[in-house]
Amino acid sequence: MEKMKIMLVDDEERFLETTRKLLARKGYDAVTAASGREAIRQLESRHIHIVILDVKMPLMDGIAALKEIKRRFPPVEVIMLTGHATVETAIEGLKSGATDYLMKPISIEALIQKAEEAFAKQMLLEEKIRLAQGRLFMKSPREILKKAKDPSAPD
Amino acid sequence: MQQAPYKAIQKIILASMILLPFIPFVLSLSIGYYFFAAALESNTVSRMERIVSDHRQMIETFLNERKADLEYILHAHSYEDLLQPGSLDVVFSLLQKESSAFVDLGIFNDQGVHERYCGPFELTGKIYLQTDWFKEVMKRGVYISDIFLGYRKIPHFVIAVAREEKGRQWVLRATIDSLLFNRIAEGVRIGKTGEAYILSARGILQTSRRSGGQLMDKCEDTLQYPEASAEIQTFIAKDIRGNKFLYATAWMKERHWLLVARQKKTDAFKDLYSAAYFIVIVSIVGGAIILATACCLTRHIVGRMAAVDAEKDQLNRQLIWASRLAELGEMSAGFAHEINNPLQIIKNEHSLIAMILAELKEKHRITAPDSLPDLEESLDQIDLQIQRCARITQSILKFGRKSEPAAMKVDLKQYIPEVVELVAKKAGVHGIKVLQKIPDSVPPAHVDPDQLQQVLINLFNNAIDAILEKHGSMGGELIIEGRPDPTGMIEILVTDNGCGIRADDLPKVFTPFFTTKPPGKGTGLGLAVCYGIIGGQGGSMAVESQAGRGTTFTIRLPVASP
Repeated sequence: MEKMKIMLVDDEERFLETTRKLLARKGYDAVTAASGREAIRQLESRHIHIVILDVKMPLMDGIAALKEIKRRFPPVEVIMLTGHATVETAIEGLKSGATDYLMKPISIEALIQKAEEAFAKQMLLEEKIRLAQGRLFMKSPREILKKAKDPSAPD
Repeated sequence: MQQAPYKAIQKIILASMILLPFIPFVLSLSIGYYFFAAALESNTVSRMERIVSDHRQMIETFLNERKADLEYILHAHSYEDLLQPGSLDVVFSLLQKESSAFVDLGIFNDQGVHERYCGPFELTGKIYLQTDWFKEVMKRGVYISDIFLGYRKIPHFVIAVAREEKGRQWVLRATIDSLLFNRIAEGVRIGKTGEAYILSARGILQTSRRSGGQLMDKCEDTLQYPEASAEIQTFIAKDIRGNKFLYATAWMKERHWLLVARQKKTDAFKDLYSAAYFIVIVSIVGGAIILATACCLTRHIVGRMAAVDAEKDQLNRQLIWASRLAELGEMSAGFAHEINNPLQIIKNEHSLIAMILAELKEKHRITAPDSLPDLEESLDQIDLQIQRCARITQSILKFGRKSEPAAMKVDLKQYIPEVVELVAKKAGVHGIKVLQKIPDSVPPAHVDPDQLQQVLINLFNNAIDAILEKHGSMGGELIIEGRPDPTGMIEILVTDNGCGIRADDLPKVFTPFFTTKPPGKGTGLGLAVCYGIIGGQGGSMAVESQAGRGTTFTIRLPVASP
């Protein structure tokens, strides 16, 4: 089983630092990003499972970052973190593809629990994809060869 | 409420409401009176003139006829004929047949000697040469005397005619029955006090006067004798007793006698006085009606204005209150957000410290184990205080939330028991009796059920707290009542018999951050949030309370359209 990798995105430097330390002590790998842009840059170069994203940030706000992440890295699960749990922001976030949302202040245990849930969901999805792909290989080697020659042909 | 502007408006309205009807009212009354008075006056005066004129005509006709009778005798008989004994008696009896006004008849020679006499007195042989009437008749040929006493010492007047025969003048004289003449003159009656009489040129009464004055009395009234014109004169003058009379006078018989008709002014203008009297009554009654109406209407109008203004003030206050609440909500939401970020950091730092401490403890690396419990206790306290802060910011955020209510038709008969069920257990634990009075007549309300639930739960919890404070776990009572209110809304009353709210605090219960609970127990936002929610649903909230007796919160909600 793959190990869960978490990315924390918040404009509060100290929050990132302490949370990373806490996660590390609990045995989780975590990277941090101080802005939406930085998060996207890191996602390009690293494999990340879970993004914990503050909704309210300067420059690029949480919802915009969320949309960008879901557009470019669809499998990544995003948990919204907010200091302002309005129903509207929550609904907007969930509609834009967030897995869940959390209301500050949140304990590290709750944070890990939500992350684990999201990770399990992601793993389940990846498992399904793997199974489907496996079945594809089992189907007909010829067809696979054909598909390799002509990628526009239907599955 | 300012009183001064209403006083001023009241004065203006009252003044115009009194003056405007008064002007046409008084104007029409006075114009009416003026024309009526003018018409009545000319009518009365012309009636007097007509009476005088007719009367004069009648008296002159009478006198002329009597004069003509005598002149006929004078010319039909010679002096010598009439001197024959018995001859005058025959003539007199004929004359009396002609007019019963004749009392006697006599013949005089040019020396004034009464030669023959026919009548009730013994006057034969008396000499009249020096009397006025004899002198006058000798001079003019015909004479009608004023009333005088003469030899017989009885008031009478005479008509005498003279004729020249064979160079000698002789005179025929007749006495007129003054009673009969009196009757002719007196026979005028106008109203109650109207009368007519005749005065001689010297102001001696020639007829008796009904209002007092016998024949030959001197008339004491200072009458203005008119000029010699034939015109009838009318005027108003006072008599000797000071009564005002309307007079009409006319000369007759070449300024010899003055015919006077008079009527007391009050009698002559009686209709005018009754009209004036009537007008005064109408003015008083009408004026009173106008005054009363104006006062009533003014009070009503000013009352309505004051009520409308008060309503407007109330509305303004509510608007200001609502906008203040909204501002406060927005501000506190921002504030809560800003607090939550550092709170999150504190929480994480706390977790880190706790974690490190636990590790150190596990590895027995702590050199001063005595202070460990204190340290752990302090860490727990930090955690508790963070939770407390979080609760406050949560409440603030809830308060500042501006979500649109999703109002729908809510049947309170079904809905309220469901909400009560949520607190029934808590109430039961504390021995609180919960009564629900929702009659079938309560119409469905138009409200967001989730938000109403939040409000009701809040009220129920407050009530339970209040009951516990007063009664402990015995004798608490919580009543939830629903009923239609007279203004066409629905009232939900939540009544408890708890400790109540002090009168000083009562106006402040809906103010954000106002709480009577000990620090850390309440945020002071619960009722403010309720107030905001109910206000946002088109309803209103009110509170009544007596310290130590209990509290009733009233929620008014709009009725759902069927």
